[in-house]
Amino acid sequence: MTKHYDIIVIGAGPAGMSASRTAAAQGARVLVLDEQSSPGGQIYRAIEKPHNQRRRELGSSYQDGVPLVHGFRQSELDYVNAASVWQLSADLEVGYSRDGIAQLVRADRIIVATGAQERPVPIPGWTKRGVMTVGAAQILLKESSVVASDAVFAGSGPLLYLAVHQYLELGVPVKAVLDLTPAKNYLGALPALFGARADFAKILEGWQWKRAIGAAGIPLLTGVDAVRISGEKSVESVDYRRRGEWQAITCDTAFLHLGVVPNINISMAAGCDCHWSHNQACWTVTVDDWFNSSVAGVSVAGDGVSIGGAAAAEAQGGIAALGALHALGRIDASERDRLAAAYRIRLRKEMGIRHFLDLLFRPADRLRVPREADTVVCRCEEVTAGQIRETLDLGCCGPNQLKSFSRTGMGPCQGRFCGHTVSELIGEASGLPISEVGYFRLRSPIKPLPLKELADLAHSSKE
Amino acid sequence: MSGDRRDQDVIVVGGGVIGAAIAYGLTRRGVRTLVLDESDRAFRAARGNFGLVWVQGKGVSNIQYAAWTRRSADLWAEFNDEIKERTRIDTRYLRSGGLHLCLDEEELASRSLLMANMAEASEGVFSYEMLDHDELAHRLPGVGPSVAGASFSAQDGHVDPLSLLHALHTAFKSTGGMLISAPVTKLCYEKGGFEAKTGKGSFYSGKIVLAAGLGSRALAPQLGLNVPVRPERGQILVTERLKPFLDYPTIFIRQTEAGSVLLGDSHEEVGFDDGTDIKVMSAIANRARLIFPRLERTRILRAWGALRILTPDGLPVYQQSRECPGAFTATGHSGVTLAAAHTLDFARFVADGEMPAALDSLGEDRFHVH
Repeated sequence: MTKHYDIIVIGAGPAGMSASRTAAAQGARVLVLDEQSSPGGQIYRAIEKPHNQRRRELGSSYQDGVPLVHGFRQSELDYVNAASVWQLSADLEVGYSRDGIAQLVRADRIIVATGAQERPVPIPGWTKRGVMTVGAAQILLKESSVVASDAVFAGSGPLLYLAVHQYLELGVPVKAVLDLTPAKNYLGALPALFGARADFAKILEGWQWKRAIGAAGIPLLTGVDAVRISGEKSVESVDYRRRGEWQAITCDTAFLHLGVVPNINISMAAGCDCHWSHNQACWTVTVDDWFNSSVAGVSVAGDGVSIGGAAAAEAQGGIAALGALHALGRIDASERDRLAAAYRIRLRKEMGIRHFLDLLFRPADRLRVPREADTVVCRCEEVTAGQIRETLDLGCCGPNQLKSFSRTGMGPCQGRFCGHTVSELIGEASGLPISEVGYFRLRSPIKPLPLKELADLAHSSKE
Repeated sequence: MSGDRRDQDVIVVGGGVIGAAIAYGLTRRGVRTLVLDESDRAFRAARGNFGLVWVQGKGVSNIQYAAWTRRSADLWAEFNDEIKERTRIDTRYLRSGGLHLCLDEEELASRSLLMANMAEASEGVFSYEMLDHDELAHRLPGVGPSVAGASFSAQDGHVDPLSLLHALHTAFKSTGGMLISAPVTKLCYEKGGFEAKTGKGSFYSGKIVLAAGLGSRALAPQLGLNVPVRPERGQILVTERLKPFLDYPTIFIRQTEAGSVLLGDSHEEVGFDDGTDIKVMSAIANRARLIFPRLERTRILRAWGALRILTPDGLPVYQQSRECPGAFTATGHSGVTLAAAHTLDFARFVADGEMPAALDSLGEDRFHVH
């Protein structure tokens, strides 16, 4: 018999933990499914490990996760770690795998809190050995205390500087930092800084990281407008263009980062309407004030909707849970609104700085959409930007026809690495707005699923 | 633009594997052709295909259909060489022979009878062998003990259906064809010519071919045609890439040249729902591991559903309109197997303005209630 819950929360990052705590506090039967071994999400990854709780190097905001995780652990709910969710259907059935067994569960409400993924950085040579994302560097650091010496960091955005600063605090040598923030963004973002009652403490923190990096003697080059990775099979140098001139820095490891984008695969597969955000240059899930998506019973909260950061995600998770509790008839509208008020104040404050950050760190067009014909866009099937443009020239009507013709997006990652680039490439070729171009049609299983587990679902293997 | 719009000899409605094959067949004969194709999210059987170029079992109830299928299968190699030369796209076509697996003795017995009937009706042109479990295991090492046997025909083969669709579109364009993504809203006939109305304006031609799959049903009456098709869903699972182990395609399982294994096939009456369903997927996975126990250890990477285009008797419909001469339809299932005949033969029928007597029984008259 399929187990039935009031609310299933997918993800145990800031939004998921906040949502599930809020829901459990009102007596709802809650199941939380998360793919990591412990709660925290990407930002508070492995926060329960004692060595991490003492580590000041990970930054003050990392420690913000301690009370949240503690509260989550105290809540009365079913929490399943190491669970790979491969299905969310529009009729609210969730399929997941754990320990080699696939299971189906149901709920009256689903809250998707799948967070963010790093934006792919399709520059020439990005698929060579030794190229990693800054996010991968963070996972290695938090999970296993592994670091890479003398790496070049190239990219843009707060996480880039946070990661370099963490290396600095740990005494790991860094070869250079290449800042790819377009020069024109500084001017463009300025009005948002004053107009939105921005959070100056955060901006100050970022500025202090930058200053510390400079003071430590690490070359920090701003105004870099193009970058490529050179080397036979693995990284031999990072080449960059600054003031019209190309230079090379030799290194074995390059960390790339152009910010994060919502992880929309589960929401898209469930059929939630999405639209393209110009400012964030990514797909975002369309939600109402209570974070309800277009699919009845499915809410989406946190960075899985649009990028707002951990504090905003925590607030959104709370609001989404209150909306769901009201929909279930567990709280009335006035109670819902009363409990949501504090979250909404917090959210408004967080969103103030967000607009500024979006404008400042919006990656340059050429870094999102490769100009060079031989730059790989789809890593799984090794399809280049040139091949995609050639296929589009046939009169290819959208991402799904393109996928059929070129195998772009057909590999195991299910388009996570190329979907955004593909939408933008089609927009460029057709002149259509990206929201109209659309995205790959995603269907379950959205993650690889062992055949045995799938077969066992309806047919016991002992038969 | 207006020049483009008025100067077409033929408009083909539909850019699926049937429409694209006919359209390329026309342009390669020098006929100016425009394809009007639907949007990216349209129901596209051509993108959900399993990739069999299949003869055995086809046309048991209709000898014209059996002959038409065999003709296309025989033309496939020549057709494939031509599009490969023109487009440099390798469709991975291989006439390897194919297997129809039977999971129990009863199924094997009735299969044997069916094959014998087919061979007799073809006057010996169709050839096949029946294999018992041991003979099958010899050809398919690793086949599960519960598989009773199979029928084998050397006339069967397989192809990557997506590369085929890509190649047909590429070949069409390279021979001067024009494609516009604009769903057709209305078709009109005015003496000697046709108008296709779309969201991107009207297009005009001397002839028109309706190859719009499930969309043909609603458009057909506007051309005096009758295309009573309905959707039937099939779901397919695809595994990660495995070392080659399967030398022959079968109707449930096919290994591609790249190593992925496709698992099919379901037959579901669910209307216009081309989604996936976990119960059906589970049944497909279960049958796959019965056939090849080794598959139990692999992972499913993707799954999809697609809608077959079925007439009441399951056979395609080929017809020139009596009311609006110059309007043709080619609609139905098996567009991959029939692609060679559509390009090399059917396009000629359209260009000549005449359907051959050899396809009489596949016209729309068979749907009339007598």
